[in-house]
Amino acid sequence: MSTLHDDHLVRGVDHAAFPTFDPAGTVRFYRDTLGFPVVHSICAAGWGPEDHPDFIHFFFDIGNDDRIAFFYYFGLEQPESLGKGDVYARFGPETPEFFVRSRHLAIHVDSEEHLLEYRRRLDGSTWPVEMQIQHETIESIYTHDPNGYMVEITRALRPVTPQEDLDANLTIDALMDIADTPGAGMAELLTRKAELIVERAQAWEDDQADRREVRASPEGPVHA
Amino acid sequence: MTRLFILDVPENTTVADVASQDPAVDVQRLGPYFVVSSAHDIVIDRRATGCRHAVWYSCVAGLGDSRITQWDKDALRVERR
Amino acid sequence: MPHYRTGLIVPSSNVTVETEMPALLGTHPDATFSFHASRMRMKQVSPAQLAAMNAQRERCVLELGDASPDVILYGCLVALMVAGPGEHERVESLVAEQLATGGSDAKIRSSAGALVETLHDLGARRIAVVTPYMKPLAQQVVDYLEAYDLDVADWRALEVEDNTAVGCIPGDDVMAAARSLDLTDVDVLVLSACVQMPSLPLVEEAERELGVPVITAATAGAYSILRALGLPLALTGGGSLLRQDAPVPVPSI
Repeated sequence: MSTLHDDHLVRGVDHAAFPTFDPAGTVRFYRDTLGFPVVHSICAAGWGPEDHPDFIHFFFDIGNDDRIAFFYYFGLEQPESLGKGDVYARFGPETPEFFVRSRHLAIHVDSEEHLLEYRRRLDGSTWPVEMQIQHETIESIYTHDPNGYMVEITRALRPVTPQEDLDANLTIDALMDIADTPGAGMAELLTRKAELIVERAQAWEDDQADRREVRASPEGPVHA
Repeated sequence: MTRLFILDVPENTTVADVASQDPAVDVQRLGPYFVVSSAHDIVIDRRATGCRHAVWYSCVAGLGDSRITQWDKDALRVERR
Repeated sequence: MPHYRTGLIVPSSNVTVETEMPALLGTHPDATFSFHASRMRMKQVSPAQLAAMNAQRERCVLELGDASPDVILYGCLVALMVAGPGEHERVESLVAEQLATGGSDAKIRSSAGALVETLHDLGARRIAVVTPYMKPLAQQVVDYLEAYDLDVADWRALEVEDNTAVGCIPGDDVMAAARSLDLTDVDVLVLSACVQMPSLPLVEEAERELGVPVITAATAGAYSILRALGLPLALTGGGSLLRQDAPVPVPSI
């Protein structure tokens, strides 16, 4: 049996890819404004079964060796649709703004100073920051790139604590339990989650205390 | 009993503190959670907590036999179900 | 009989790849091949022209991809080897990505990678090499091979810089260079570490005369193509390397 079965093996985002009809604007935004280096590009044609124009696939480094990538298809007509959204997906005026904004890419920075440096770069460009918001434990700036994709740059206000991981897992387990119940809402979720807290929270805290003791022991853990 | 669970993280501690100022309210710990209980309704004044909106609207972790009857910019009210 | 389209990416002044690969693969008993070349401009085998040539690679892949090839051979050994160890893996994977992104199933091999692959598959540790290059480029080819655990016991550089002239080097000159090598304990002789220096007609003769397995950039390229396509090694006139799966002739009584 492989020793990898229980391991979390993935290592971040290789690339997240989006189509563009404005490659020059895209390069001006990501490379020239934000300063994300171009790190890779592919000139290809559609050789597969599908009829496919020639295209350029190009990549920007978003730090941590992760990349954001774009496809530019020569001669492809931009779908003619009005409405809210971006070049990939548009919605009618009845679609609420929070829904349109829900799908976005958030890029991490380490400090307020770094966040404000990106704010400075954007504010001096054609794509100024549209919002700067403090959420529960993060602070973010937002703008839309030349393709209409919402881009968030975010910093943590403090490190994530272990109990937040527990809490997230209890939330998701509660959601799994109630999501298929017709009409279930937040009240049902919080009720189910309270049951899970009663079941598991004390055992989790005892386990954390044991771990702290092992770490604090001068001889370290004893192995039989 | 009316019962409300709040995760113990730095942003939430004032929520539990404000709740405990009501003599009818008892605040215990269960693992990393505050368990806020009362024989009556639990009412927490948002301004007294000093919480930003994003924190305020995500501070409730669970409800034991209870329901939220008010959760707005002024207060959080939890009643027995 | 299955048919395979073979794409060739060659320097514009190369004439030998398009001569020797059909001559070799055309002898296969179980498959037929057609050859489709795309050219990168290059006349002088100098570092500057080699760098300029590499920039044309993507266009060549685009052109060949349109012909739906089964396999593509990048046919300029020195262009990759001067960039230092790891370059054939890097370029092969870039071309593979370019093909795969466009939905092509074509396999990509390079003459540089094919030479390393062939020497490794033959279990060679100690080799001797004949090249047409100027000495500094030849030294880089030797260094490249040594980076792949190959001990280059002896080597010759014929010092022809003009690539058209490389395509006209007489076989006698190549053989004379080979005869002058110290082949003591050599596992394999690389008679031509260049796909432009003509050498195919010399391979069988050199194996008989020198008593060691003899390969060239072209026979290694053919080897790698057959391996990529999963075909038996049953070619005629390319030396022992390419006959490994050929039926042994029954001696007449």
